[in-house]
Amino acid sequence: MKYLRFLIIIGYGAVATLPLLWVVLSSMKHRADTISLHAKVVPAPTAPADPASITFEATAEAWRDLAAVHAGAQASFWHYLANSIIIGVLSTIASLALGTACAYGFSRFRIPGSGDWLFFILSTRFLPPLAVVVPVLMMYRELDLQGTHAGLILLYTIFNLSLSVWLMKGFLDEIPRAFEEAALVDGYTRWQAFLRVVLPEARTGMAVTAVFCIISAWNEYGFAMTLNSSGAITVPAYFAGLQGNIDGMPWPQIAAGALVFVAPIIIFTICTRKNLLRGMTFGTIKQ
Amino acid sequence: MAKTDGGMKWALVAPVLLLLITFNVFPLLYNIVLSFTNAELVGSGSRTVGGANYGRVFADPQFAGALRRTALFVTCAVGAELLLGFSVALALQRAFRGKQAVVTALLVPMMLSPAVIGLFWNLILNGNYGIVNQTLGWLGLPQPQWTTDRDLKFWSILAIDIWMWTPFMMLISLAGLGAIPPSIYEAAEIDRAGRLRVFFKITLPMAAPVLALAVLFRATDALKQFDLVMAVTGPNDSSTQTVSTLIYQIVFRDGKVGLGAAFACVVLVVVVALATVFTRQLDRLRSSEGAP
Repeated sequence: MKYLRFLIIIGYGAVATLPLLWVVLSSMKHRADTISLHAKVVPAPTAPADPASITFEATAEAWRDLAAVHAGAQASFWHYLANSIIIGVLSTIASLALGTACAYGFSRFRIPGSGDWLFFILSTRFLPPLAVVVPVLMMYRELDLQGTHAGLILLYTIFNLSLSVWLMKGFLDEIPRAFEEAALVDGYTRWQAFLRVVLPEARTGMAVTAVFCIISAWNEYGFAMTLNSSGAITVPAYFAGLQGNIDGMPWPQIAAGALVFVAPIIIFTICTRKNLLRGMTFGTIKQ
Repeated sequence: MAKTDGGMKWALVAPVLLLLITFNVFPLLYNIVLSFTNAELVGSGSRTVGGANYGRVFADPQFAGALRRTALFVTCAVGAELLLGFSVALALQRAFRGKQAVVTALLVPMMLSPAVIGLFWNLILNGNYGIVNQTLGWLGLPQPQWTTDRDLKFWSILAIDIWMWTPFMMLISLAGLGAIPPSIYEAAEIDRAGRLRVFFKITLPMAAPVLALAVLFRATDALKQFDLVMAVTGPNDSSTQTVSTLIYQIVFRDGKVGLGAAFACVVLVVVVALATVFTRQLDRLRSSEGAP
């Protein structure tokens, strides 16, 4: 039984992590080695004499080439990464601010029909983006938001509201009301009590919420691609756009770019590992 | 506490509600209007065509195919992810050195961008130079064309989805298993209950409510499957087309906004039904004692 357990863990661990190891190895290759008919598995300082060898010459070429403009794109990887950062960070701030305020309202005040409102907020998450993309596209054309950073920021902010309201409500519900009551006795107004007493207490919850908002904005592809032809292309849309270009896929650069792109996500995952489940389930499961 | 600050409470909640109504409810209603027109992506001026779009949606086998394929995808993906994730969670249930690090490492696939990683799977699964087939060849096994074979590519996309989302099921299963009080296991031991009996009479029923929640989360997500299909085969592949990629194809490639809107409305009815089941389950979980 004990061996079976470790067999399962090791076997599954290999399947889960080897594809990522392959991304790492590919980022160190020349392009020819990524599509070689002889598997290139072991990095070596020099090119092997035998073309059928499993070793390949390790190179930093792909990392330097992140600054290059590939066929099928208009700018380099860094340009699209900057788009992803601007859109991800600003939409996260907006979503967190709006969501926290709303969650506080539902947590502390008697709001008529609050159960129904909260259900409505959650239900927006189940909407397939493609069920609303047509009208949103029409609206964006009218408002001149198509292909702009503001357009995607607005969309991702709204998309993440359900997450931030539900997560923050869970965190705020855990903060004892006695904190605010004491503050009110001390002469704070309700707003001051919220901003100066409750918010500092909720900072862990806000950090966790921010991480989940930024991850979903960071990884989003459907809207980024359909509402954009050039202006505010994010990294997922940029990589996908390279498909079918005339020079073929620049695999080592895609690998290097993918690593740069996922690095912050992996760091965030490690930082929030204790609250991961809570974030993934909108606060319905608290660990 | 809530009596005097009517202004404040609406100032807190109104912005979110207004934004959601403007950008979710209004588009949905507008979608219904569009679905009765022959609106196109380029060029203005559309007229009402009555239920013609819906007639096409229900008559054209392409739509039924996409719906069927999506249902198959959701069922297989969620089923396999649950089975795998729960098994791995069982293996991980007992404490060992470095468990936290192992669990965190196993979670990485689900945090990645499906569009980016799906693209990379094309390289891994390539029929000629992909590492999977080279390994199979080295072992003397057949080397199928994973992403181009008509009968296979749907299952390849499914496999990538299972790779990405099994960690989610594992994580929830771990929480469900962790919430079972050790005293129950101790009592079972005193009663000399067999391993299988303990599993089916204690472990499984006690973890079930949390697993149900996991299934509903994954199902509503898998229903939207878009990124992986786009990355592996593109939107217009008759053997992998899901509802999302079909809507994309109709609206953005064919430019038929009205027809796409009609199909979106049909899909939405299905999603609303599922979401209702989902929230009922949520309420039941929240009101039941002992949920983690």
